[in-house]
Amino acid sequence: MAAAEEKKVEEKKVEEKPKLKLTFPPAETGLALIAGILAVLITIFAALPAVIKGLGMLLTIVWSADSVRKTSKYGLGTGVPSIGVMATGYGVIGALMGLAFAKYGNIGQFYPGVLVGVGFMGLIGLVSGYFSNSPKYIAMKIPRLERAMMELGISGTFANLLMFSIVTGSLNFKSVVTQVMDTGVVASMFILSIQAMAHPYNACLGPDERRERTLMVPAEASGLLCVILGSAMLVLGTSPWGLWDPVSLIVFGLLVWVVFYTRFIKACMKECYATVGTGLIKTIE
Amino acid sequence: MILIVVYVTIGGCLGSLGAHLCPVGGAPAAMGTATGIATGTIQILLGAVVTGLFTAATVSTFSNNIWLVSLSGAVGATIMMQVVMFFANILYAFGCGVLPISGRVAVDPITKAPQTAYKTPQTDGHGVPDVVFVSGSAGGFIGGFGGALMYYTLLYLAHFTYGTAVIAALGIFVSSAILASYNIRGTTEGLWDPKFKTIHKAMIATICVSVLCGIVVVLATIALGGA
Repeated sequence: MAAAEEKKVEEKKVEEKPKLKLTFPPAETGLALIAGILAVLITIFAALPAVIKGLGMLLTIVWSADSVRKTSKYGLGTGVPSIGVMATGYGVIGALMGLAFAKYGNIGQFYPGVLVGVGFMGLIGLVSGYFSNSPKYIAMKIPRLERAMMELGISGTFANLLMFSIVTGSLNFKSVVTQVMDTGVVASMFILSIQAMAHPYNACLGPDERRERTLMVPAEASGLLCVILGSAMLVLGTSPWGLWDPVSLIVFGLLVWVVFYTRFIKACMKECYATVGTGLIKTIE
Repeated sequence: MILIVVYVTIGGCLGSLGAHLCPVGGAPAAMGTATGIATGTIQILLGAVVTGLFTAATVSTFSNNIWLVSLSGAVGATIMMQVVMFFANILYAFGCGVLPISGRVAVDPITKAPQTAYKTPQTDGHGVPDVVFVSGSAGGFIGGFGGALMYYTLLYLAHFTYGTAVIAALGIFVSSAILASYNIRGTTEGLWDPKFKTIHKAMIATICVSVLCGIVVVLATIALGGA
């Protein structure tokens, strides 16, 4: 009886196989190009409202998570989170360097100087990718690791720059230092951006891993990050636009979180073999 | 200027060396089938170095002696490492019921206690035995020293503020320790592990990346108009 019931459940699940379709760019390169170009435009124009910067941050974090995914697919041997930590570590250094150079060559509210930090981090990522992949040195033998590490350096720098720029409303080194670094907001940024970049593939990996489903997790995590950054803005009172700027960022973050969280849970429920409730933990008698 | 690059490079190399000395168990250790702490290299090192940076930052508020600041960071990181290893041992001994035993050496090089006889067949050792504990403490000390040295450099030579120096030191430390953790690949027992012999490969990579990071810091300092 039980076996028959189980078989019925199985048949029912097999019928519901068509997967949730999402309109992500078809290839990894396409996503990288779109996110990269948009991030450059949003980063150098510092006077944009926080919501647009939040959108740019979401895109760069999704891009990073995609890079982490395509590298970690081959097995790093030391856990997926390590490469996300690396992206954020590079990102912090690169963002500091970019902010130091921001005052050179600015045209009004455009600060192309910050791209120096981005370029330098791309170079460092390329060098570390070469050393990790070269058979003479660490010999990880992961295809296209150089490019992935370069992408991670660049996207981590963009994500950090955008976060600094959201909280302070400018790209001024002094205001970033006093409002982000010395208040300690940077600690939560550091950990949460690592979480948003490294956690998705770490949580979703397995034989039935699917790119679209995995990429819903970074979007959802960056929604949460938007909420936290908006709260920080609200407390610090740093926005040049008044109160509606942080509030709109918080609303945007909540909206992104709700949409992607529910979609992710629905996709998981739909694509899994069966969903069963295990109930509470039973005590042994 | 040159000193910034030199100190950052030394700090990165010490971080890489510290990562090679730490007992990393990874997923097998979580099941009690390998020696070490049950997580990845970078997570262990990050925890230890953040604690080291706390102590170093506290000391640096009243002292600008390079040895004092660096050694306080090293002591903080060592204490964190030892606490983690000690509690890992308690969990393994009283939770899993396995005794700390090394899988890579037949006889403990320090206490001369036999190891192979107590090892469960088909496992790689359990817990954090004496020999690994010593190696891990040394790893925490060296890694914390490297992190605090970078912090000192950024604080007093590059004239960053406390918060900026901490987070930038953490960033540079992470990027050099990552290469070491890729060299280790999974699990290691520290100094007496065969994998320790491949350290020169990670060292060359770390030197190159740390020099570049030092150049980044120098360029940022020049652009800011300081020192």
